[in-house]
Amino acid sequence: MPTYIYAITAADHPLRLDGLSGVGEPASDLRTVKTAELGAVVSDTPAELRAKRRDLVAHQSVLERLMADGAALPMRFGLVGPDDDQVRAALEQGKDSYTTRLSELDGRLEYNVKVSREEESLLREILTESQEARRLSEYTRQNPGAQDQKMALGELVSREIQARQEAVGKEVAATLAGAAERVSEGEPTKTHFLNVSYLVRRDQASAFSQAVHEEAERRGDDYTFALNGPLPPYSFV
Amino acid sequence: MSLVQQSNASNSGGGSGNLYDVLELILDRGLVIDAFVRVSLVGIEILKIDVRVVVASVDTYLRFAEACNRLDLESGRKAPAQLTDIVGDTVESGAKGKSKGALTGAVEAFTESLQGGRDDSDDKEKEKRPARKTSASSSSRRTAQREE
Repeated sequence: MPTYIYAITAADHPLRLDGLSGVGEPASDLRTVKTAELGAVVSDTPAELRAKRRDLVAHQSVLERLMADGAALPMRFGLVGPDDDQVRAALEQGKDSYTTRLSELDGRLEYNVKVSREEESLLREILTESQEARRLSEYTRQNPGAQDQKMALGELVSREIQARQEAVGKEVAATLAGAAERVSEGEPTKTHFLNVSYLVRRDQASAFSQAVHEEAERRGDDYTFALNGPLPPYSFV
Repeated sequence: MSLVQQSNASNSGGGSGNLYDVLELILDRGLVIDAFVRVSLVGIEILKIDVRVVVASVDTYLRFAEACNRLDLESGRKAPAQLTDIVGDTVESGAKGKSKGALTGAVEAFTESLQGGRDDSDDKEKEKRPARKTSASSSSRRTAQREE
């Protein structure tokens, strides 16, 4: 039966998994696969694995538990090996690389920061600062049938939004990077123009959180900052 | 400013509270082992599309154009509109920011008198506002810390 893999840890990680269960419905049992240097937390793979909420939660919960007790390399959701023996073989084969990564991540956690800006304030800013946007908006308001001008306005605004958000995004990202060890930029989402993960030392966690608070305060009411963490270091493996 | 902080205490064993916000990390990041496969996951693409940004499209352009037209209409009443924003926010987070009580009262009275001549489109804007802002309270410094 294929083996679902949650994480790779050092062999001396306590792997305290009591009370947790794996993906699938009914939930699969967690077990470990070990080599001399490394360990992997695995379970059977359910026949029809879906990215259902409960499965994602199961995956995430295992990683959060492991993260509390030491370094762990979080696997991407849905990674499956042919069987336990081949997982063991993969641990042996990748031993050096995994060991290095584990020691690099030891005592470090991921924090994800997402920032959005209220659209209305952004549009207002563009209309205030761009004469062309004002002209087109005025024209299309008085000539509602002017499709070409509408598209031109929309395109202009879209470009302006992107440019402005990129500029602010860079500033924010750079400011926060000062309190982190590594940075991993994610794609913007539908609502967030900035989506960045930071690798932060445990002893720097409150300083980092403080930096996010300060930046959020500095940016003012039009911006919404969402800070998620501590998380397993998904973005840094 | 507004900051929503979601910290997942690992002893909670839950991790479901902020699942949506970290979905792309769980699905797209994380370690893979080259020789192994990732099972094909029905539903995963849908989840991802939901999260991803939709950049340039005719629909987006038209939406922006119309939003600008609306703002243009309001521009003569820019100040009242902003005050309305503040009142909306404060009312929502009223329970959390009692110290702002006095200020809120004053702003509310002020806005009411200014709102006398507002037209329908403004009213619609106002109705939409609370729904749009539920996840973000911005009139006061607030850190919502959810542990689930």
